[in-house]
Amino acid sequence: MIPTLFLVSVLCFTVITIQPGSFLNRYLEDPRVSPQTVARITSEMGLDRTPVEQYLYWIWGIVSRGDFGHSFSGMRPVSTVIGELIGWTVLVAGLTMLFAWLVAVPLGIITALKRNGFTDFIASFFGYIGLAVPDFLIALLLVAAVLNAGGTQVGGLFSPEFIGRPWSWARFVDLLGHLWIPIIAIGTNSVATIMRQMRANLLDVLNADYVRTARSKGLPERRVINRHAVRTAINPLVSLAGLSLPELINGTIIASIVLNLPTIGPLLYESLLNKDQYVSMALLLFSSILLMAGNLLADLALAWVDPRIRYA
Amino acid sequence: MKKLTKGLLAAATLLAGSALAQDEVVSYPSLGIEPGQSGGTLRLAVASAPPTFFYYGDLSNDIKLFSQQIFDTLVEFDLENYELVAGLATSWDISEDGLVYTLHLRQGVTWHDGEPFTADDVVFTLNEIVANPETRAGDAAVFVQTVDGESVPVEVVALDDHTVQITLGAPSAAFLTQLRAFFIMPKHALLDFSQEGGADASAINDAWPTTGAPSDVIGTGPYRLTGYVAGQMVELQRSDSYWKVDEAGTRLPYIDTLQYLVITGTEAQTAQFLAGNLDQLNISGGQFPDFKSREVAGEPFSVIVSEALFGSPPHLAFNMSAADPDLQAVFSDAAFRRAMEYAVNRDRIIDDVYNGLATWPGTPTAPVNGAFYEDTTEIMHGFDLDAAAAALDELGLTDTDGDGIRNISADRELEFTLTYGNDSATWTDIATILQNDFEQIGVRVNLQGIQSANLLGQGMSGDFEAIIVAIGNQPDPELRKPIWQPGGSLYYWHGATQPDDPADPPNFDAFFDFEHRLYEIFELGSTLADQEQRAELYREWQRINAEQALVIMIAKPANIAATYNNVHNFVYSLGVIPGYNPVPFYYLAD
Repeated sequence: MIPTLFLVSVLCFTVITIQPGSFLNRYLEDPRVSPQTVARITSEMGLDRTPVEQYLYWIWGIVSRGDFGHSFSGMRPVSTVIGELIGWTVLVAGLTMLFAWLVAVPLGIITALKRNGFTDFIASFFGYIGLAVPDFLIALLLVAAVLNAGGTQVGGLFSPEFIGRPWSWARFVDLLGHLWIPIIAIGTNSVATIMRQMRANLLDVLNADYVRTARSKGLPERRVINRHAVRTAINPLVSLAGLSLPELINGTIIASIVLNLPTIGPLLYESLLNKDQYVSMALLLFSSILLMAGNLLADLALAWVDPRIRYA
Repeated sequence: MKKLTKGLLAAATLLAGSALAQDEVVSYPSLGIEPGQSGGTLRLAVASAPPTFFYYGDLSNDIKLFSQQIFDTLVEFDLENYELVAGLATSWDISEDGLVYTLHLRQGVTWHDGEPFTADDVVFTLNEIVANPETRAGDAAVFVQTVDGESVPVEVVALDDHTVQITLGAPSAAFLTQLRAFFIMPKHALLDFSQEGGADASAINDAWPTTGAPSDVIGTGPYRLTGYVAGQMVELQRSDSYWKVDEAGTRLPYIDTLQYLVITGTEAQTAQFLAGNLDQLNISGGQFPDFKSREVAGEPFSVIVSEALFGSPPHLAFNMSAADPDLQAVFSDAAFRRAMEYAVNRDRIIDDVYNGLATWPGTPTAPVNGAFYEDTTEIMHGFDLDAAAAALDELGLTDTDGDGIRNISADRELEFTLTYGNDSATWTDIATILQNDFEQIGVRVNLQGIQSANLLGQGMSGDFEAIIVAIGNQPDPELRKPIWQPGGSLYYWHGATQPDDPADPPNFDAFFDFEHRLYEIFELGSTLADQEQRAELYREWQRINAEQALVIMIAKPANIAATYNNVHNFVYSLGVIPGYNPVPFYYLAD
């Protein structure tokens, strides 16, 4: 894992360094920003060092004291900037995944059982539409629909009167009123993937010998499906879940921007645009750590749900 | 010594239960501002979360939006004509030689924590913060002048509690205008972060982090900071001791609470406005039809268009120091630039790109700038492709190989790259219109899109052939001297004039003849005390710019805002111009 991370960090750094422009470019028009100011801030940020020095300095900060660098535009340590957003990010991403799974797994089972039937057709049709339409477009359409219906909960997580207020039932309801748009907009995309996967897995399994055996020994159909078929068919989905962990950071950038969510996606986007290099590097690194961690967790979970892997 | 106080009535009012406060009665009937009623909450958008609450610690525009409401400047802009009027300084005297400014401060003003505002605060702000080169968003350059080749610091001292004296090394015509950009900070709250208080020079940037208590952040302005929700909202509450009152005697501001919601991105801001979660939103010409049609359809908001002084007009620049020697020679010829100006279809750009909400530009002063604008529209070339083609023919730039593209020489086509910002529909549309029209006169343009934020940086690097950039409008041309004076740090279209070390004098050898005169105009304009003489000089400068087509100014976009009908006394504000703050006049009523 460590060598992989090292390679990832070098790659991220290289890509970000060769990106044209400088963090200070957007301030050049400001009458206060003289060439001397530019030079001073550049050296203050360490941007006058060679790229190799910058990289080594950054990586040493991480290794020696867990310091992921400083955000130029946030003017705080990167970890603080990310820390402020991580709570909402995990909440939104977690709920979205939950939504996707709760909808997709049963749909996958139903469509497999009623293969080529009307339900299969309808579910697949909408599934593919969900897959084909980008999440930000769904978000914008939902926002437009809410506005046309006279609603006001469009974007952000709270209505202005509830921002920063103590928790209350009304505030919770307001949060729910905002959350459903990102959950549906972002979740719809994965619904189709998970559903198709579930359907295909289950179709494979339904023809397997042990399912026939289960049926032939007289088990009720419900038990055959739940205990024998689905139990096995769900294994590949566990791997899929592990792989979707990095989406916490980079899966929902555009949708989060159009919905104005206080999450990490827009932060990554802004940092790449502004060349706020340590923020982008930390996030990309974080994202690859999540991918690896997700893989590891998926393996562990697989071993837990599937005895065949455990004993292999 | 001459008194420069003008325009507004100053009145000293004895307030029940408070000290003698020197209130300022302000009224702008000509702008439609009327006495209003107090109360309510106004919600506005800010594009990104503030990294700090210390105004001088952050260069971004967003912090200006609410700093404007928390702090005051010594002098302010008159909202109507942009003349300087009393702020924290009620009046000022300037010595005959233009070197000594004596500012008489408003008495009875208190900081939001109740401490009195005195001359010490002004001296502290200017000396310890603004003039400190380590302050990230300070302006040290204003406080060091070059006299006979020597650097001379500007001296700021307190004569008594309510008088500040500023002594310059050389006359500086726009010094007062510069003063209106500096928000005055409380010495008692920031002393520990300053060199005077024993800290490092750069420690001042650490003052007032967003993680601290909002009540630590104190100013003398109409609102005080009362709340911050990380990444979501900045909340300000009315200060009860602000020194402006309306003509009916009501203390400003009218509105109790200002909420700045952090909303990034045009779509999200638009949605929040349409949902009624924002009371006011500045919009672009491109958004105008959508908003206007909703207004006409009966939505309870109005779209307000006003003439703009601030806000940057786009121009087309040819790189007179281009790396390609053929292009450099062609671009350096004023006759070529003038020929190309015929092919710039300003009227179409104004109609199609700005939906008619723009005017012909100045060169470059904004037409609404009464003090300095010179109408050069007669000098500028209107759209005439035949005239453009004829002018290029005359220059010998003809199509010698019959491929439809003119030739610079037998084996060199008249072809160049036009750099523009591809993350903005405005720049993209303008670039496409130019490319199309230039093609018609046999000039091939290859478009290169980059991020708008990097345009000026790209220009300053000299790595471009032609570029569309928007910079350059301020009330006084002196404030944009680094852009428009040949050899200035932002005079990017002729980089050869810039010295290697920015502290050195420009590279005069590289100047074209007319650039010597431009240089001289800005040198004189900086120091002349007589405003009429200065205005005459700057008018000449605009004529030269137009005659030489130094850059081809394209259009001056109007200011457009959408405002719900319950917001009264609305006057457009970019929100980011220190010293121009109409928000205290806004009031809410059905």
